[in-house]
Amino acid sequence: MTAIPLVFALLAAGIWFAAIAERFASARRFPSAIVLAPLWQAARLLSQQRVRTEYPDALNWALAPLVYGALAVAGLSVVPFAPGLVVAPLDTGIVLWGACEALTIVAVFLHGWSANSMLPLIGGYRFVAIGLPAMLLSMFVLIAAALPAQSLAVGAIVESQRSMWNMVRQPLGLPLFLLLGLAISLRGPMDYGDASDLSGGTAAEVSGPHRLAWGIARLAMLTAFAAMGASVFLGGYLGPWLPGPAWLALKTAALLLVLTWLGCNLARMPAPRMMAALWLVLLPLSFLDLVIAGVEALL
Amino acid sequence: MGALANLILAMAVGAALLLPMLWWPMQLGGASGQSQQVPFLGGGSQSAHAWQRFHIRYYPMTLLFIAFEMEMMFMYPWAVVYVETGIKALAEMGMFLSILGVGIVYAWREGVFRWQ
Amino acid sequence: MAVRALAWLAERSATPVYIACGQDGDAMAARLAQVPAISLQHSIRHAAILLVAGPYRDADRPALRRLHDQLPHPRATVWWGAVPLAEAQDAVTIAQGDHPVARLRRLDRNLLRGERASEPDWLPDEPPNEWRGKGDHGQGGEGMMGGVPYGRPMAMMGEEMRDALMLDAMTITIGPFLRTLPPGLSLELTLQGDVIQQARVVTPAYPASGGASEPLLRAARMLESLGLPDLARRAQISAMRDSAEGLLAAARRCGALLALPAELADVRARLEAALRGGTAPDPGEEWLVDRLAGMEWQSALLRIASFDPATLAQIAPAAEPDEDEEDGDEKERAA
Repeated sequence: MTAIPLVFALLAAGIWFAAIAERFASARRFPSAIVLAPLWQAARLLSQQRVRTEYPDALNWALAPLVYGALAVAGLSVVPFAPGLVVAPLDTGIVLWGACEALTIVAVFLHGWSANSMLPLIGGYRFVAIGLPAMLLSMFVLIAAALPAQSLAVGAIVESQRSMWNMVRQPLGLPLFLLLGLAISLRGPMDYGDASDLSGGTAAEVSGPHRLAWGIARLAMLTAFAAMGASVFLGGYLGPWLPGPAWLALKTAALLLVLTWLGCNLARMPAPRMMAALWLVLLPLSFLDLVIAGVEALL
Repeated sequence: MGALANLILAMAVGAALLLPMLWWPMQLGGASGQSQQVPFLGGGSQSAHAWQRFHIRYYPMTLLFIAFEMEMMFMYPWAVVYVETGIKALAEMGMFLSILGVGIVYAWREGVFRWQ
Repeated sequence: MAVRALAWLAERSATPVYIACGQDGDAMAARLAQVPAISLQHSIRHAAILLVAGPYRDADRPALRRLHDQLPHPRATVWWGAVPLAEAQDAVTIAQGDHPVARLRRLDRNLLRGERASEPDWLPDEPPNEWRGKGDHGQGGEGMMGGVPYGRPMAMMGEEMRDALMLDAMTITIGPFLRTLPPGLSLELTLQGDVIQQARVVTPAYPASGGASEPLLRAARMLESLGLPDLARRAQISAMRDSAEGLLAAARRCGALLALPAELADVRARLEAALRGGTAPDPGEEWLVDRLAGMEWQSALLRIASFDPATLAQIAPAAEPDEDEEDGDEKERAA
């Protein structure tokens, strides 16, 4: 219970931090007081009309950002801030996180579907094609991380890294996991839902407060993902001198920077090619990661 | 039980924080006419509604995906008992994965990953 | 009071603008790309101001009206080197040589504060197609088949070009003001899913203005479709300064060339040449519409954007030489 405010504090800080990092990475420094820029952008969207399209699926259109945001919160709920300090101390934390990833695909698809417009619809369908195999990758590397911990609980995985971080022990894990982060937060090279070649994809018909809600949900998912990655691969709350939550926040911020940089600096290949690359190159790599983790755990 | 209740509470709070943005009361400017609701296509128009039986070119891929999802269900318990069982577990999962790997190669040969 | 406070906060953010490029509009957009206080949007729904840049053709008027009405309130239109339409009341006009940033910022501020009224619709407030609703929900037919909910029919079945499955074919017109297409080019596409079955040129792209910066502006459009908005902006700024220095290396670092698959080798060659500030020659023997058949959305947009204006004028002229009968049937059914 005490961890719930912590979850929302981390989410709020992460959303703010990621929004600022995005501006820095893209060299778009307006206005000069960059720290307050997200607030001003939010005010702009709140003062704009929320457009409705012809015959939309209004209920699902409004539900999509809510589900997306709620899933980000659910994903963060299994991440421990300190030993025992966690919203939902589930033995099957990894399984819950996997379910959140899968349902995110549904939320993004619904967002594209509901507008009854061609560009968002293509975005929604295309995202499913990339989201499914990307999710597979992440589950393999997460299971690899669970091997030395002998548990599916995120807390146990963090504790298993007292001697050595999983990033070192399983070098393929984090890079593969980051790909999923880019995919489920619709970012840069893995942004097949809200892409610019579709004029904004699932968000192409969305304006004003609705767009703000969608943007916040996207950044919330990014933050939740970074916290999960920090816990599973970077030792989460473990660290000297500082208290656990501070270490988790620092590592989350570091991953947010990496993700933002990758998002701004990598080209997006056409979806069929990405789908083939995921199945034929990256999935075998995740098998390899599993083997490395398995052999390492037995030694 | 407590964990589940906390989880649901946190999700509900998250959704509740976003809800006002979808029910935002302050709106400047004029009314929304029917011409505003026309889908955006850069000045173009569509002759029919966008909702359709979309040709999902990747449907064979989704079948392959299901095979891997089922495998994932076996992997969860496997991961927990892996260290106790030792080398035998590694060999078992290696066999399982190589069978699925052959599946990927077969799917590739059949052109499953070619968007058609 | 609350509205005043919101406006005070909102006017500090960059002004979101959707630019409808007329003749030379591409170069005008590039002049705005280096202004941080203006952010050019890809969708009209994300903008507050419609900026019509450069002269447009008579044939583009209906598209311009449609585009204007799709803007969310509070909204305004600015005519930069373009003649306002008769519907535009209290029109804001700027000469082509002038820089519009100060005017755009002031207009944006006035809109947010409510000191300038939001523009009303230009088109009549009625469904886009004639309403012929029948049935329980006015869908005019049964299930997904047939019917005209909201004055628009549902998509109908058509044979798929590859596997001959009978699935819904959808005909849409994109452009002439879509930012990912060359300015002025409008295409009628018959889609099955996200793959183009058939294409037809509705209006051709604007003729080349002959500027030396054209290849870089073209490269910028391709980089946008590759998901590299920052590099695209850099290309636009380079175009204004007439120097492509370091651009190709930067594009390579981002994987812009690697991202293009072997089927798009022609696009890769043209992108590389454009980033150098030159143009890769194209025999121009095959029509654009034939080169698009069977392509997926992003690849198709990349290929369209890769042609230089001279080639585009040659392979995508206004009227297609031989429009087959099937196409005619298609239109009759839609009508």
